[in-house]
Amino acid sequence: MPDSNPANDVASYAAAVRSALSPLPAAEREILLEDLENHLTEVASESEVSLEERLGKPGDYAAELKLAYGAGGDARSASRHTRFRDRGAALLKTVAGDLPYRDVRALLPELAPGWWVLRAYLAVLILAFIFRRGTNLSPLPNPFSSSGLLQIVVTLVAIGVSIRLGRRAMPINRWWRGGVIGLNVAIALLALPVLASMGTGNNTYEYSSDPYISSAAAGSYPGITNIYPYTRDGKPLKDILLYDQDGRPIVPDTTDLIVDVPKGADGLPIPNAYPLSEHQPNGDPVVPPRVALPPVQPSAPAASPTPTPSP
Amino acid sequence: MQPNGNPSDTSQLLKGVLDLAVLAVLADRDSYGYDVLRQLRESGLDGIGDASVYGTLRRLYQAGALKSYVVPSDAGPHRKYYGLNDRGRIALDQSTKTWGSFTRALDHLLNGRSTANAR
Repeated sequence: MPDSNPANDVASYAAAVRSALSPLPAAEREILLEDLENHLTEVASESEVSLEERLGKPGDYAAELKLAYGAGGDARSASRHTRFRDRGAALLKTVAGDLPYRDVRALLPELAPGWWVLRAYLAVLILAFIFRRGTNLSPLPNPFSSSGLLQIVVTLVAIGVSIRLGRRAMPINRWWRGGVIGLNVAIALLALPVLASMGTGNNTYEYSSDPYISSAAAGSYPGITNIYPYTRDGKPLKDILLYDQDGRPIVPDTTDLIVDVPKGADGLPIPNAYPLSEHQPNGDPVVPPRVALPPVQPSAPAASPTPTPSP
Repeated sequence: MQPNGNPSDTSQLLKGVLDLAVLAVLADRDSYGYDVLRQLRESGLDGIGDASVYGTLRRLYQAGALKSYVVPSDAGPHRKYYGLNDRGRIALDQSTKTWGSFTRALDHLLNGRSTANAR
């Protein structure tokens, strides 16, 4: 009987949901159902009524789950973030949709001189990239580098030439016209990988330029899984609660780890008590790192000589 | 006619905005699946199915809009808590705006109709 024992009820209900979702790829099904048993146990603990009576038939439950998760369509092959990005793009389109196209079009002639300067600069950048392949490309022109003067001169000449070309009317000949447009497009496209290779670095903060939200304000720190606070004199601290500038708890990205989160008097978890007590999914504890603490200045004024530099 | 409309109508309407509702619940504080459902129901959205909420949470998590961590519980099973991350907050902000303009437009439309009917 399914409802004689809550644990059996959960197990058989979950098994039925799993089997109803068996047409889904195994990996996707596991991601979707990862937490199902725990969740069902939670539901079951709330009442004596069997799961089937509360949640409906497992087949219906599975169908609703699939619908809410959006599985089974073409979208399921999309990578982890693309689906979400598409939704974001669709939302943005809705918001920006009423910006009249003609207004933008009317602006184009005014923007053209800007593009003439930019394309000259990008062309120089592409050439610089081709001629110094291998080493990192730093921003140009760089007056402190050995070829700084050359870079400045070449950039200025290129900008001058580009503006002169830009001010001339578009060639009438179809082939020339196509060539000019093609060259502009090629510069724009080639500049993308060159700019990307310039190593300004951190793509994880791609959203931080958003005016109303910065990465830090949301309390999420990609790449940081724990924080080990120390006093100035080197004593490790425990149970330190960290908050960001908006008073939100700072919670690191512990997706791949199990965290023993302490609870407050109200029974709610405290996810920002550092250092977090973490262990690997296989049960191994996460070992605190060895840290190199900065040397401490002795508090007594008449201390022995220290390596601290004098002003 | 029922004061709250036909339940199946309500659940149809809810499907489109469940992401927004779930993100809004998690904006207040981190929470686990069953608790999210309870909060949605307490705020009056009682047409939502358990599987819809669970599936939505898993999808938003997979899409990178939520962070997640496991909290052991002495009484019951371990609970998987979810909370908003950067993407989630951005999505919530954007969807809130979209929702605002959508409801304003629809309110306007429906109010226009009801006054026309009253005449």
